[in-house]
Amino acid sequence: MSKLKISRRTFVEGGLGLTVANFLPGTTPFAFGATMEEQTIAAAKTVGPAKVNGMIWSPYFVPMQPVIAEFTKATGIGTGGIQDISIFDAPQRAMAEALSHSPSFDFIHIDSNMIPSLASAGYLEPLDAYIEKAGFHLDVVAGYGNFMKYNGHMYGIPTDGNVHIQYTRKDLLDNPDNKKRFADKFGTELKVPETWEENLRLQEFLMDPKKDLYGSGSLRNRANGVTWWYMIFYSAGGFPFDEDMKPTINTPAGQYAVDIYLQDKKVNHPEAANWGTPQMIPRIAQGHVVSCQYWDGTCKTIKNPKQSKTVGDWYYSVVPGSKFSGKMIHRSISSPLAALLINKYSPHKAQAAYLALWLGSGKNSIPIVSDPKNAFNDAWATEHFAAPAVINAYTQAGINAIKKNFQVVCPPIYLTGFLEFQDALGKNLSEAYVGQLPAKDVLKNTEDEWNKIIRRIGRSKLKKDLASYKAAMPKRDVPA
Amino acid sequence: MAVATLQTGGAPDSVSSRESSRRRGIKLFKIALLSPLVVLIFCILTPVLLLQLYFSFHQWTVYLGSWWDADFVGLDLFRSVLTDPRFGWAVVRSLAFATGSTIGCFIFGFLLAYLMYKPFRGQSFYYIIFILPMLTVPVVVAYTAEMMLYRDGPVNHIISFLIGHDFRVSWLTNPHMALTTAALLEVWNWTPFSFIIMLAGLAAIPKEPIEAAEILGASKWRIFWEIQVPLLRPVILLALVLRFLEAMAEFPKTWALFQGGPGTATETLPVYIFMTTWQYFQISKGAAMSYIVLMLMVGIVLFAIYLLRREKHVLDAMYEWRETEMEA
Repeated sequence: MSKLKISRRTFVEGGLGLTVANFLPGTTPFAFGATMEEQTIAAAKTVGPAKVNGMIWSPYFVPMQPVIAEFTKATGIGTGGIQDISIFDAPQRAMAEALSHSPSFDFIHIDSNMIPSLASAGYLEPLDAYIEKAGFHLDVVAGYGNFMKYNGHMYGIPTDGNVHIQYTRKDLLDNPDNKKRFADKFGTELKVPETWEENLRLQEFLMDPKKDLYGSGSLRNRANGVTWWYMIFYSAGGFPFDEDMKPTINTPAGQYAVDIYLQDKKVNHPEAANWGTPQMIPRIAQGHVVSCQYWDGTCKTIKNPKQSKTVGDWYYSVVPGSKFSGKMIHRSISSPLAALLINKYSPHKAQAAYLALWLGSGKNSIPIVSDPKNAFNDAWATEHFAAPAVINAYTQAGINAIKKNFQVVCPPIYLTGFLEFQDALGKNLSEAYVGQLPAKDVLKNTEDEWNKIIRRIGRSKLKKDLASYKAAMPKRDVPA
Repeated sequence: MAVATLQTGGAPDSVSSRESSRRRGIKLFKIALLSPLVVLIFCILTPVLLLQLYFSFHQWTVYLGSWWDADFVGLDLFRSVLTDPRFGWAVVRSLAFATGSTIGCFIFGFLLAYLMYKPFRGQSFYYIIFILPMLTVPVVVAYTAEMMLYRDGPVNHIISFLIGHDFRVSWLTNPHMALTTAALLEVWNWTPFSFIIMLAGLAAIPKEPIEAAEILGASKWRIFWEIQVPLLRPVILLALVLRFLEAMAEFPKTWALFQGGPGTATETLPVYIFMTTWQYFQISKGAAMSYIVLMLMVGIVLFAIYLLRREKHVLDAMYEWRETEMEA
């Protein structure tokens, strides 16, 4: 083995050479000191210009356009044909593309919980090689980056945090008369609720349907209601499957979650059973709700006087938790978590991947998540939480709550067959909420349906998926 | 004379050649008309149906490999569909929805047609107004209705005003009401279809029997029930059958408004097939379901054709009898 000898002259010459190389076109990624964004541009230049086609909903896409324009200017890579498809309809469309191995879309913008299903159908391009070449890293709170991983590979770049936070009416809580009445009745202080039980008690106490003020503004429709059930279930220490992929929801924790979920009927609007976001957000912003857990973007709506009558009237905090398991656990949720995924069959997959990385940089995405008009993309990167534009969009209190909830955020069922598992539960919960099904049958029926899904997709395959699901679960019980 | 002879002798040949040329022309015309349909059936519909047949006999799980590697499962998928209580309820809901909305469309359509079939000033204006709902995109109907049908929405307010006390029906969130709401929207959307058919039927009724009855002093009520309705029976049947088949396939309004909810109150056949195929990605089960529904629909169509033929025979017999009577 020869000993490596470097003379002082060689060292100085080498250093000079590297310095010169730093300024040569196309060598930026290899030069020291380049930012992540510069490295992404340099890596993108190596794959040549292209117009990439995508499927993305316009409320998400519009604020991205100026950021994409910068990338196009630097690399020649821009967007071509864009199909404006709602994020709720995107899974069906994406799966149709996957089944036909279609190269039509270079990227899709979709709920990241579809990653296991789409990757299993062979549609997704792993992004690891592009990430490495561009020196990219997801700068996120806690293990949020694991929401983009499946079977050890990175498949998505988030554009929208979409974490749930707790909204409680400040004006009602700080009202001296309310404070006194509450203390007289319950012998305890009227404050932001920390548990589901406290939340329900507060809602019942402050609601006044005669004034069109209802206790809860949480969703209970068939498509979305299930999201709230997960938060309660996880906070009670539950997890939907055991190591052998046997469903474990028909348990005390599961039944507790069903009970809390259904008690909302006492305090929610009588039409909540079929209401989604288009109905509920205006009611929250117009002051018809005492408290709720809702997506963080509602902070932006509340702050906008053109859309809200309750500017400055809310406390933002961690979603309620539960001591059901014997210790206090808080669990928030992020669903749908909008992310950019790349089509494996695309002729421009490299260009689309670098565009996604460009949009996924914390710095580049600041104008995207702080857009006050197109408020669908919500803060998610660590860099967002210190950016004045983002703080201005959400308020400091809003940003603090978002950051805290990210520490305990969970995915819904992060497995192949996600939509099927979720709808079986959502259907049964919805039936119980409207009185079509006894509460005691919700979890039993759901487990029966889940067992059929597990048999069809394959227990051994799903057992492998479990590792990715568990990796996405938070490590903390209570946010710091 | 010679010319006449020649003409007499040559005429049959000339007629037969003209006739055969005419027949050839008609045949070519028929082929030209039918060929796009035949091409469509053989090039698009048949392969799709065959592929669907393949899927309904093979269990393909989209996450576990290509469709051509799917396991042959015989009739298992059909058995699974036929023993699925959710499918059974979807059939019941679809039949209830289709029956209710078809009857509603027919009653209102016939009523409007009866008001409109005699010419009057401004008839075209009303005609346009009456067919407007049919020209409205169903999804637009659904979203507009959603805004109007909230418990505190304009529809309940108007009804409250008209009846003089508080009327607060939860059209969209009460599981016992939701399917009825969907059917009422279907009636609003498609009454014009029945209206147009019934208007054409009423206009085609011969005037003589009605005039004769009027001369004999029959009341309008009696003329309606004993002359117009019997003569309209085939048209009524056609309007009912076509509307029923359309209603069985209704998807956009039901999906846009309810997505199967609240609970499973509006999970009709098209909604359940869509969910199975494109939400659960159970392509094979969806294909088997579609085939079963296809068989159900073919059965309904065959029954309808039988009824229509029977009506036609009755009507033909009636007209023959009338002609014989008139000749006598």
